[in-house]
This record gives sequence, structure tokens and C-alpha cells, in this order.
Amino acid sequence: MIPRDRALSLLSPIALLLAWEGAVALGWLNRIFYPPPSEVLVTLADLAASGQLARDVGISLLRVIAGFLLGAVPAIAIGILMGIAAPVRAAVRPLAAAIYPIPKIALLPLIIVSLGIGEASKIATIAVSVFFLVVLNVAASVMQVDPRAFEVARSFGARARELFWTVALPGSMPGIMASIKLGVGYALTLIVGIEFVGANDGIGRLIWQSYEVYAIDRMVAALIAVALIGWLATVALDEAEYVLVPWQATSVRIRETRMQHYARTWWRAMRPWSYTAAIVPVLLGSGIAAAAGTVDLWLLLLTLIGSVAIQGGTNLVNDYYDYQKGTDQPGSIGTGDALLQGALTPRQVLIGGIAAFGVGASIGLYLVSVSGPLILWIGIISVAVGFFYTAGPFALAYHGLGELAVFIFMGPMIVVGAYYVQRRDAPLGVILAALPVGLLVAAILHANNLRDLDGDRRSGKRTLATILGREGARIELYALLIGAYVALVALVAAGVAPWPTLLGLLTLPVAVRLMRIAAAESEPGRLQPIVPLAAQLHLQTGVLMVAGWLLALVLPRT
Amino acid sequence: MRAGTISVTDLQVTFRSRQGSVAALAQLTLHVRAGELACIVGPSGCGKTTLLRVLAGLQTADAGQAHVQATDPARPTTGMVFQNGGVFPWYTVAENVGYGLQMRGFTPAQRAPLVRRWLAEIGLERFATAYPAQLSGGMLQRVGLARAFAYDPAVLLMDEPFAALDAQNRLLLQQTLLRQWEGDGRTVLFVTHGIDEALTLGDRVYVMSARPGRIIATVDVPFERPRDAAALRSDPRFGALYGEIWSVLRDEVARARTAELAEAGV
Ligand SMILES: Nc1ncnc2c1ncn2[C@@H]1O[C@H](COP(=O)(O)OP(=O)(O)OP(=O)(O)O)[C@@H](O)[C@H]1O
Ligand SMILES: [Mg+2]
Repeated sequence: MIPRDRALSLLSPIALLLAWEGAVALGWLNRIFYPPPSEVLVTLADLAASGQLARDVGISLLRVIAGFLLGAVPAIAIGILMGIAAPVRAAVRPLAAAIYPIPKIALLPLIIVSLGIGEASKIATIAVSVFFLVVLNVAASVMQVDPRAFEVARSFGARARELFWTVALPGSMPGIMASIKLGVGYALTLIVGIEFVGANDGIGRLIWQSYEVYAIDRMVAALIAVALIGWLATVALDEAEYVLVPWQATSVRIRETRMQHYARTWWRAMRPWSYTAAIVPVLLGSGIAAAAGTVDLWLLLLTLIGSVAIQGGTNLVNDYYDYQKGTDQPGSIGTGDALLQGALTPRQVLIGGIAAFGVGASIGLYLVSVSGPLILWIGIISVAVGFFYTAGPFALAYHGLGELAVFIFMGPMIVVGAYYVQRRDAPLGVILAALPVGLLVAAILHANNLRDLDGDRRSGKRTLATILGREGARIELYALLIGAYVALVALVAAGVAPWPTLLGLLTLPVAVRLMRIAAAESEPGRLQPIVPLAAQLHLQTGVLMVAGWLLALVLPRT
Repeated sequence: MRAGTISVTDLQVTFRSRQGSVAALAQLTLHVRAGELACIVGPSGCGKTTLLRVLAGLQTADAGQAHVQATDPARPTTGMVFQNGGVFPWYTVAENVGYGLQMRGFTPAQRAPLVRRWLAEIGLERFATAYPAQLSGGMLQRVGLARAFAYDPAVLLMDEPFAALDAQNRLLLQQTLLRQWEGDGRTVLFVTHGIDEALTLGDRVYVMSARPGRIIATVDVPFERPRDAAALRSDPRFGALYGEIWSVLRDEVARARTAELAEAGV
């Protein structure tokens, strides 16, 4: 944009706002129906300061995210199947095509009849709407993949499985991404409408309530918040598109601004893919709480953010101290990329880590005020363990205590914490129910240590793996994995966990694959897959167990 | 032994669609010995691509036999360089070049040195992490070439691989192909529109008829190896062979054109 155009695009909205302000001041516009921008701004600030805005926005966002995931994930899977297999297409298409044009908000009463007026019906309405929108679009984009590409792949010996992963899936990714964008946009419009009708909270409710009492200034403030959510969603989706469809985004990428570059560097430095380790136990604790009664989405959201913040802080602080102690050398696999590549200075990383701990601590204090003192202790100990994990004279990770610390704090401790936030109670059953995910999260760390065994030995880092030796470390890995499944079955057998949590056993093939690689390889490059596999195992098993607890709500007990 | 043999007997391929049927190949017979570099020339639309697709197992024959025999079980039998390059837009240049190896079960660590070598060979090292959308047509063609070479098949099927290249790059890649082939003695079946290209590269040139395609002439190329592409042009035998092939081809090209016009309803 040339400077003149940029100035114009900035001036025109300002001129409009000024005209509005002036018109109200001169009495041309009724202050009650058209509150001036200055008043709206004050209201917005009040709403934000009181925490109500964050609460309503957060709850609406959680509903959108939950509904979107529940709808889009199966839609993408089924849509791809429809695109590939004619019988699936024939079976699903008439149904989907018939339901697709119904305005989904019309289904809300029907869904309320079967699921009640609570969270389930709101999330289900979004899920159903997103599902039908996405499934048809995905099927269409799979069928549009260039048939010549399949032929090329076949000429190199690709069979069904490879054709799927190397041609059908990447070839339809741009279309899938477009459907996802459509779906998110749809879910965002829908949530406001849904909350108009039957909700006690959320941004839609805030708008409707403001209308009922003629608080137009509050209504406009809420609308601004909705616009902000929409904008944030666009930014997030563009980022996702860059990761998922890099071959289309390259031209966009070149024009990346400094600001975007900075944001991305931080994002990478915090190693977001490791957050599943912090998210899964919170979901499990909250899921158990939901099975025992109700769940407060606002508290769940805060617990999630707090847990992720502490994890992010731990990552950054560890990178800093690992870098200082020289365990991570340029070229070592995995850790501390941003530091090693010189994108951030060590000082920046340390400050970032402490700031993340600060966010986690503030949220923790708020949760203490609404739930009880147990959270205070969990919070203090978690931050301390996170900080001294690699820092200080007695760095836990360098004394072979890493696995134990991770097991306790990313297992039972967070699960119980998340449960306690919801129900102000910490029964033994919840601690036990956390065992499988605790063992699996320890397995992620241990897989990491097994891979880096030789390097750690050389730099004198004492992990459980270097202490036990290669054979011992392998056996420990098997014990952690097998232990997780044994614990899962035992929990169900003892009646602590409901039988649908056995869904977690579905991930057994992944565990077997992981153990096979661990048994056969010892060179770091070849062992590398065990780390992402372990993380995948933890995530999938954890999510399936949460699903099991929630299913227990609707399925009959045996 | 790297090389494989090709034997095609009375091959017939007919495409059927709602508009009617098109006989692409009829009574096509062709034999390529192990380690031979055979070229095929023929008018546009005569079924050259179809023949290669049958040999690569991408198209079934309606009648006749087409066999590719290879003795080394560790090596893939056929690999193909596609007429349009056939490069996957969603993979980087390096990922494309390593694709065949990936399908053969090579790990990323095993692929890396081979991919690097072939990128250097086609002069695209600096584009390893670029996506195809950022490349020119000639560059894409080179990527397709490197991918097939890295795959290392017993029989290499090449469908007008140099057609989209500028003259200089074509000469360079012809030399690359000759050097590779002289080194490894692989069997190559090379489709081209250029009679001079066929004479420069081939041990033998097969001339195909207008559709439905069959072999109507076989010309042995006597030039000794290693060959120098530039020096060959001044060899008096070059002009004679060129004339011989063109005299057969000219009538077929004319026939193909008349047929196309008739089909278009002119
Ligand atoms: N999948 C198909 N369906 C129907 N007809 C086809 C198909 N593929 C090829 N044909 C027809 O078969 C004939 C031979 O096609 P082919 O692509 O083998 O020609 P070609 O000799 O490679 O031509 P060119 O030199 O232009 O590449 C053409 O008339 C073409 O229209
Ligand atoms: Mg062709």
C-alpha cells in the first residue's frame, strides 16, 4: 500500500467514529439507541476489568472449539472415505445432502429435547452443523485430486496405503483447509444464535441480555468482542494453513512481517506440540468431574490455560539452563531450537519462561479463591518442580528423577487439581484413575532419554536411562507402557473407572510399534520416531479415556 | 545385473468411452535387449505414451503380451519419467526426488545422500526445499528425471523427458543420461519427437505408425560409444539415417493429421 492509501484506510473509520460521536453530542442521534464510541469504550473496559468479558468470550470459544472438533474430525475422516470409496459415497451422500440445507439452528429445539438444555445440546448443535458442511466439501475436494498424480505414484510402486498418505490426503488438503475455514466461520455465527436462546453465559447471552435491558452500549461492546474473536480465528486458521498446506502458502510466507516472525519464533520456542502433555490430564480430571456431576466450562478453561502456561514456562526455563550447562549442542535432536539457532537470546528465553510462570501463578491464585487451598499447594509445588527441573544445584532431570517428577506432576497431580477445581474434593479414586496417563507421560520423557542416551552420557547428564544402561532403559520403557494398560484394565476391573474407558486399549498397536522400534534400534537418528510415537500414545490414550468417562454418562452401566 | 529386457508381442489397446472407441495400439511388436538404449519416434497421438503405460503396469492390454523381465529382485522393475514431469505439487523438490526411494522403503537418512547426488546432477541443489509452484516447466521436467533415476529401476521408461527443456539444458541432460547409462548399463526405452535426439542417444530407433500405433521400421544406429552429441552431427552417416527415418515418418505424420481432422468433423 502506498502511504496515501494507508492513511486513507486508517482515516475513514476514524472519521466515521468522530462523526458518530459528534452527532450524539449535538443531539442528532439518541444516546440511548446509538451510544457514542467513547461510552462503548468505557463499557468495554469495565466489562474487561470485571472479568465478565473474558468469562463470556472464553465460554463461547470453548463451546465453539468443542463443537467444531466433534463435528469436523469425523467429517474429515468420513469425507475422505467418501471421496475414495464409491460405496461409502453412495451410502452417505443422500443423507448428508438432505440435511445439509436445513438451517441448523432449526435443529436446536430437537437437540434440546434429546440432550437437555445444558452444554451438551449447544455443543451438539454446532457439531452437527459443522459435520454436514465439512463432510460434503471434503468429499468433493478428495474427488478433485488430479488422477495423473495417482498414476505417477503407482508407477513408483505405491499401493493403497501409500496412495492415501502421499496423494489423496495431501492432494485434497487445500480443499479440506477451505472446508475447515468455512466450518469455523459457521460455528462462530451459530454460537451467538444458540446462546440467544438457551444459555446463562457466553457472548451471545451477553448480547441478548443487554438488549433485554436496553443496555445498547454493552451490546456494542460485546459485538466488538465477537468481531475480535472472528479476527483471531482468521489469524489462527491462516497459521494452520501455513503448516498444513505449505506448498500453497509459500507466496504468502515470503511477505511475512517482522511482527509475525517474532510471534512465530516465540510460539516455536515454547514447543506447543508438547502441550498435549499438559492438556490431557486437565481434560481427564475435568472429565471425571463431569461424570460425577457437572463441569464449569469457565473453570475448565482457566485450568487449561494455567496448566499450559506452567508447561510453557518449564520448557523455556529448561531450554535456558540446558543451554547454559551445554547439554544441548547445535545439531542435537529436538530441544531448544530457537536458542540453538540464535533466534532468541538466552536472556529473552529466561524472561519469557518466568513470564509464563507468572501467568500460570495468577490463574492459580484465582482458582484458589474460587475452589480451595489444595490448588495453592499444587500450584506452588508444580512451579517449583518445573523451575528446578534443570535449574539450580540439584537439577531433578540430571539426577535420574525426571521420570518420577513428570509422572507425579503431569499425572495424578494435575488430574486431581483439575478435578478439585470443579468439585472441591480429591478422592482416592481420581488419583488412581490418573495412573495410566501418568505412566504414559513419563514414557514420553523416558523415550526422549533413551534416544539421547549416548549424548547425555558424554555430557555427564545423569538420567534414569544413563543410570540403568541401555538394556535397563529399554525394560523401563516397556514397563511404563505395559504398566499403563495394566493399570487401565485393573481400574475398570476394580470398578474405579467405568467400562467405556477401556477405549484406551485401542492404542495398543501404537505401543507395540513403539516397543518394536525401541527393541531394534540404538542409534539416535533411528530411535527418533519413538518420541513422537510416545507423545501420540499419551494423547490418544488420554483422549479415549476422557471419552470413556463421558460416555459412561449416557451408556448403561454393567 | 541391473538391466532388464522388454518383450512386446501383438499388443493391442483400445480406449472405450461413451463417444466411441479409440484403437491406440494394434499389433505392436517390439523387443529390447538387456542394457540397450532404444528410442521410439512416432507422430503425435500414435500411442507412445500408452505403450509406456502398459509397460509400467498402469494400463491393461486388450490383447497380446507385454513383459518386462528383470533379474535383480532387490531393484524395482520399471520406473517412468512422465511427459509432463508428473511432479507432486505438495512435495518439495527434494521430497519429489526421494519419492521413489521412499516407496522402496528407504528411511529419510538413507534417502538423503542419494537425493543430494541427483539434485546436483540436474543442477537444482539450491532448490531442494522449494515447492514445484516456484519452478519453471523445464526445472520440473528435470525433477521428474532425477526422481526416476534415484529410484534406480532395471528398465527406465522415458516419455519425451527433454521436450520442455531449452536447447542448452537438453544437451547437458542428454550427456548426463548417456554418462549414467554408459556407467550402469541399464535398459532404457526413450520416447522422443526429435529424430536427431533418437540418433544421438539410441542404439536403435523404432518408428511407429499413425494411430493405431505399431512399429513400422527399425533402424540400427552404428555410432560408437562413448558418443559426443555435438560431433555426431557432422558425421555423414547421421544425415543419411536422419533422411531414412524421416521418409518413413513423414507419411505417418500426414496420415495422423488427416485422421485428426476427420475426427474433428472438418
Ligand atoms: N485414458 C484415455 N482415454 C481415452 N483415450 C485415450 C486415453 N489415453 C490416450 N487416449 C488416446 O489414445 C491415443 C494415443 O495416446 P498417447 O497418449 O499414447 O499418444 P502419444 O503417442 O503419447 O502422443 P504425444 O506424442 O502427443 O504425447 C490418442 O488418440 C489419445 O487420444
Ligand atoms: Mg505422449
